[in-house]
Parts: sequence; C-alpha cells; structure tokens
Amino acid sequence: MRRQVTAAVVVMVGLVAGLAAQEAQGKKYGADLTLTEVTKVSEIYANPEKYSGKRVQVAGPIVDVCEMMGCWLAIGSDQEFQTIRFKVEDGVIVFPMSTKGRNAKVEGVISVETLTEAQQIAQGEEMAREQKTTFDPKTVKGPKVSVMIKGEGAIVF
Amino acid sequence: VFGISGLALNHVADWNPNYRQTRVASQIEPLVGADRDALVADARAKLSLAEPPLNAFRPDPDTLQLFYEGRTYLIDTPTGSVITEETRPRPVLFQLNQMHINASKGVWTVISDLYALTLIGMALTGLFIVKGRYGLAGRGKWLVGIGALIPLAYWLFSQFPYWP
Repeated sequence: MRRQVTAAVVVMVGLVAGLAAQEAQGKKYGADLTLTEVTKVSEIYANPEKYSGKRVQVAGPIVDVCEMMGCWLAIGSDQEFQTIRFKVEDGVIVFPMSTKGRNAKVEGVISVETLTEAQQIAQGEEMAREQKTTFDPKTVKGPKVSVMIKGEGAIVF
Repeated sequence: VFGISGLALNHVADWNPNYRQTRVASQIEPLVGADRDALVADARAKLSLAEPPLNAFRPDPDTLQLFYEGRTYLIDTPTGSVITEETRPRPVLFQLNQMHINASKGVWTVISDLYALTLIGMALTGLFIVKGRYGLAGRGKWLVGIGALIPLAYWLFSQFPYWP
C-alpha cells in the first residue's frame, strides 16, 4: 500500500512540475502555432483584402475575453485605439478570464466581411448584453468592414 | 460533475456560471500625460497602485485600461471616472464547468469518455435490472416511453418554423 501511495505522490509531483514548466513557456490553447512571421494588426487593417483568407500569426495584449464561453479574445494592436477579434469555435478552445491583460501569440485565418447597419446593431446589442453595458444604435453609421481572425491556436504568456 | 454543471450551464444566458464579477465606480482627478506611458504613470500615482500593470491599453482616445491579475481599471481620462472590474472564478462550480465542457482537453477527454460510456452502460443495463410488473415488460415500458417521447416531441415541434 505504501508503495502505491509513494508512486501516486511521485506521479502527482511530476505532473505539477511539468505543468509549471509548461506555464513558464506560455500556455498553449488549441493547435500548434506553425508560422514564424508575426503580422502587425495595423498592417492587416490597412490591407484587409490582401490578408482575407490568409493564415496569419498576430501578437499583442489580450484586452478582452468572452465572459460566457471563452470563445473569443480581443487582441490589442501595435497601434492605439485598434483591436482585432480572435474567434474560435465554441467549445473547441476555451479561454479563461485569467488570460485578460496577458500577452498572446495567436494564429488563424483572416476573415473580412462587410456588416450591414442591422448586423452591427445586433452585434453591438449582444456585446452590451454580455458585458452588462449599454449600446447606442445611433453610433452605427452605414456599412462597416469587419476584420477578424478565425482562430486555431494560441499561446498566452 | 455533469449534473450540477449541466444545470449551471443551461442558464448561461441569464448569469455567468463560471465567474463572479464586480464593477465598482470611483473618481480620481483627470489624467494628464502626452502618451500612454505618461498616462499609466499618472493613473498609478492617482490610484495608489504600487505594482506596475501586466499591460495597459487605450481602446479609444478617452479611455485607459490597466490590467492586473483578476482586476481591470477602466479610466475615462478627461474626467477621471474609474470603473474597477474584478473577476473571480466561482469556487467549485468553475472547475465543474471546465470539466463539463472539457476545457482542458488532453487526458480529461479520455476520462470523461469513460464516464459517458459508463453512464450509457448503466442506463442500458438498468432497463433490465427490475423484473416483473415494474420491469420493462410492465410499468418500465411506459416510463422509458415517456422519457424518450419528451425530447422527441420537442425536436419534432422545433422543426416547425414558428415554434420558439
């Protein structure tokens, strides 16, 4: 019995040590990152059509996280007042709220879509409901090009 | 694990089953600074924050966000209005929900598959444990029928376009 307990303790200590070492290198979510070049978010916004459908790796601070399902991150751009949404399929990757404020490298495919006013209002109202804030539909003025990353993998530091 | 978190996750539209969040409003003097670093330094001084933040970000020209572990300050720089958001995982429920949705993947995928298979096995073999008039040949067939009919009926009605 004593041997089994000792073996169990050794396995537990090994697991904890392994997890701690992994945390030091950043925590991996989803698929491995495969690209070696980081694309600036500002560059993507400057040329959305060039990047539409392309696989990119982006780095930046996590400035917001999906509170309910952990299914998206907002990554801060290299330029102020600019973020890009990194959206993953519900349940495939779940980002905890503790990632908010940390730095991340994320990888996925750029999706560019023109949102109608109605779509923007629906999106804004959903966000407001989720974040318990308010949304003024009057702020929507005409169609808007929406750029996001369909996320596949991320490392959070 | 699956029963308790199932109830919690079923009502995800009404409440956050994973995190307890608080938002507290406060007031400081308007922030002064030519760039983000200067604004961060001024905010730290006015909020008496000894530690530097994990990160800082300006989502728009009038807002500064300071990120700390489990805590975010949203500061309206021209007015000095501050919202302090604190996010804490709900004890026990957070861990149960993470296991339910298999957030960690890896070895838990295998373990939860085994639990699911065991549950299926118990449900199927359980049908034949009780014998006699309370067994599957007697009252049991009605109970099994009702159990199967409810989701089946809901599924059929949900195909109707005006069904909520």
